[in-house]
Amino acid sequence: MTLSNARERAVSTGSLLDLLRDGPDAGRLPFPTPVRGTSERDIDTHSTTVIAVKYKDGVINVADRRATAGYTVMYDQAEKVLPLDDHTLISISGSFAKSVEVVRYLRHTFKYFERSQLQPMSQEGKLMELQRVIVNNVPAALQGIGAFIPVLSTFDPDTDQGRIYFYDALGGQFETAEYGAAGSGSGPIRGAFEYILRTKGPFRDMDRATALKETLTLLEIAADLDTATGGSSKHLPAAKYITAEGISDFSEDEIKAGLGRI
Amino acid sequence: MPSFSPYDWNESIQQRNEYIEDRLREGSPVIALTYDAGLLMLTVRHNQRKLYEIYDKLMFGAIGNHSDIEQIRIGAIDVAHAEGFSRSADDVSLQRLASFRLSPAIKKIYSDPFAQPVVLKGIFAELGKTAEKDILLVLSYDGEFTITPGYAVIGGSVGSEDKMADLLKAATAETVPTLDDAVKLALKAWAIGKQHAESLNRPNDDEDETPPTPEEYLAEALKTGLVVEAAVLERNVTREGRYRSLRTEELSVK
Repeated sequence: MTLSNARERAVSTGSLLDLLRDGPDAGRLPFPTPVRGTSERDIDTHSTTVIAVKYKDGVINVADRRATAGYTVMYDQAEKVLPLDDHTLISISGSFAKSVEVVRYLRHTFKYFERSQLQPMSQEGKLMELQRVIVNNVPAALQGIGAFIPVLSTFDPDTDQGRIYFYDALGGQFETAEYGAAGSGSGPIRGAFEYILRTKGPFRDMDRATALKETLTLLEIAADLDTATGGSSKHLPAAKYITAEGISDFSEDEIKAGLGRI
Repeated sequence: MPSFSPYDWNESIQQRNEYIEDRLREGSPVIALTYDAGLLMLTVRHNQRKLYEIYDKLMFGAIGNHSDIEQIRIGAIDVAHAEGFSRSADDVSLQRLASFRLSPAIKKIYSDPFAQPVVLKGIFAELGKTAEKDILLVLSYDGEFTITPGYAVIGGSVGSEDKMADLLKAATAETVPTLDDAVKLALKAWAIGKQHAESLNRPNDDEDETPPTPEEYLAEALKTGLVVEAAVLERNVTREGRYRSLRTEELSVK
């Protein structure tokens, strides 16, 4: 293939999906075909509470580390805050398998576009790619397998501020001014977000340590109220932040301080 | 119906080589070498970009027809991404890419007397876990390729490539240079290579005139509007991509 195919294709669209469909390894598409009439609702590994909040220099993402299937805890060290590129984090909830696959697909899609087209994919373009994946997943989600809902955070150099987007199951995208959360534990703590906003002021005015403390407290509340959300006693939650300089991990000490253990 | 004899084949290959070499002769040399924290690729060019990222640990620079360079580039990117996505980034290797994909495809086109040949000479560079594991590969228009550790050069003629290689061999024999030294070395090699190629193209120049030093030659070239393009693959980074174009202030030229 390669050259002859490249000659036949003549132009590169920059779309990884086109490459996978028409390229050298067509037929090894990673996406499963939905099957009809499944009644098994608990074969999926699920998770989670993920939270994204703005703070004065960017965006913070935190997530618990539990993955469950039905009533079983599958894993206690799941990584649910994942980088898509140097300035974008995706925090995943729902089907763990599907989420990881989607993250892998998006990371490759962005890189493939940038390398082949010699310009990075625009912010809008990246958001559209993510929406499309969610929409394409709707049939599977309706059958009860592979539903996932992400929260996307990014640093926008044009406006010099962090931005957070959350989604519904049909791919609807909403930009939020202060915070976004997803996963089974996000519902019970929604009121707590509002309480913090009204009593302590907006997250986007907080410094990094304060905003981390608030989000970790929210995560701990979610773990108390939701069985699918893990607490911090065995493994520390995952916590990352994005600024104009890129993505950084919170250190273990910063997370412990945020949890009030130091 | 016209017949096609072994003699015709020989003849056509020869003409083909002449045609390609003729087109490559004016090519501005590309130099790649290992430095202490990664791999550097450098050239001096007009407006058209010449150095490209192929995959996480792969970059590419070439001389030749731009449309041919573009096809090889896209072909390499396609293969690397399809493999990296369906298996792992670790399965994308220069050895596999060159031996099983690029080389056979180019060879096929080269040996077909009725196909337009690929006018290209290119360097692929693969960043290893350590400097000793870096791989530099020169791919030619006939599908043949050579792999060298440490450094690689391409230029318009074999003679100028030899001159550049001599310089790099001597300079990197004992030590692995820093990025700054590697840039200086590559610029000097470029000037030597380009100067040599030019002297071949204009053999009737006044022989009494002392030729300019490589530094003078480079300074002259930059005054005519040529610009230095350099890119690195960095071994130890926390950001997503290892490939990075060097900024003007990192290029140690005014």
